[in-house]
Amino acid sequence: MTSPPPTPPTEEQPQPQPPRDDDHRRWVRSSSDRMIAGVAGGVGRRLEIDPLAIRITFVILTFAGGLGIVLYLAGLIFMPSDDPDESPLQWGLARTVGAGLLVVAGLAILLPGWAWGPGIPLLAVAGVVVYLLLRVLRERDTPSAGRVAVKIAIAIALLALAAGGFVAAAAGTALGGGIAVAGLVIACGIGMIAGAFRGGARWLALPALVLALPLGAVAATDLDVRGTWGDRQFVPSTVTEVAEGYEMGAGQLRVDLRNVDLPPGRTTLPVSIGAGEIQIMVPDGTCVTTEADISMGAYQEPFDGEQGGVDLEIDDDYPVAPGRPELHVQADVGLGALTVGPREYVLNRHHQGWRSDDRVRDATPPRLACEGRP
Amino acid sequence: MSPRPGFDPASLIGGLLIIAFGTLLLLDQAEVLELDWDYFLPIAFAVVGGILLASGLAGPPRKRP
Repeated sequence: MTSPPPTPPTEEQPQPQPPRDDDHRRWVRSSSDRMIAGVAGGVGRRLEIDPLAIRITFVILTFAGGLGIVLYLAGLIFMPSDDPDESPLQWGLARTVGAGLLVVAGLAILLPGWAWGPGIPLLAVAGVVVYLLLRVLRERDTPSAGRVAVKIAIAIALLALAAGGFVAAAAGTALGGGIAVAGLVIACGIGMIAGAFRGGARWLALPALVLALPLGAVAATDLDVRGTWGDRQFVPSTVTEVAEGYEMGAGQLRVDLRNVDLPPGRTTLPVSIGAGEIQIMVPDGTCVTTEADISMGAYQEPFDGEQGGVDLEIDDDYPVAPGRPELHVQADVGLGALTVGPREYVLNRHHQGWRSDDRVRDATPPRLACEGRP
Repeated sequence: MSPRPGFDPASLIGGLLIIAFGTLLLLDQAEVLELDWDYFLPIAFAVVGGILLASGLAGPPRKRP
């Protein structure tokens, strides 16, 4: 009995290609000597060092604040595999984007106080959109224009659906349904694990993240919009009204203090809003001190400049002359702004008109007012 | 050693990451701990990055024969 002749390779069955002979001179990950992704194997081959020494170095550096993990992931991003048939392009892209996000997370942990602005999350969202588009457009088989159009339309519809779910999850959390949303996220995770043994359920990661990311953002912002919504203006006339304070869920909360005659000593004005703006209008010459927590937004006043960002803690405290009336603003803002100043500043701040208004320019700064100076 | 057909390690790792993330958020909502941006953003990036990395390393799901 003779064995059948070997079947020649066809286009439909590409044969795996062996690593190139000059791989020891290139920075490539090793497909033959790998524990995880072949980074240490590739580095060891390039430097002609035992890969075990490289692995031990990675482990030691991992205990140095996680540096080893960051370096390993950087290797995963920048070093291609020595096996050109290792994985199709789209999976290489997922690996690169995923490792890149882990590097960003690692940097955020390694560099405390790293300037997180709203641009970083937007950059991440843009990255995911570009990734999805690339995945559609860079398939191995050249798709027809009609097929590409259908796929882009489906991707846009899915993104719109995700955006709707994102907003709904954020609103549900801000209205007090956060525990239910977190429960749905965990249920998606359980579904993924169960699906892992039945061919996979990776698609469940999308609804899980659509629910989890806004939930986390609302939690980090400390956003609670339960309560009154809309625009409200209060003009208290007694110190008792001021001391009771004001609270709203969302909108614009304006407190005009022109009719209040403050007694000597400290009078505290507690104000809070979930989302929106708190405006405090104070008569000229009032000694105002401010203590505020702003999860995301800005603090605006005309004398010492404006501040913005996340997790803002404002403490504008000045020495107060004995017997001097002091208004102490104690504010809590989830998402939005706290504006404190003369009436003309508060009303015209958005138009920049206050800069040329003599009533603001000539107003007494709180620091001087607290010291009793004109 | 290759994974058995029908088993998708990326779904397993992704599921574990999602459950850990969801548990963290649940604890925050139950006021057991308090998340702020300094913690939430790195965790969110790590979870999304971990899921993508696991998918990229695992390649396409292997269907059962």
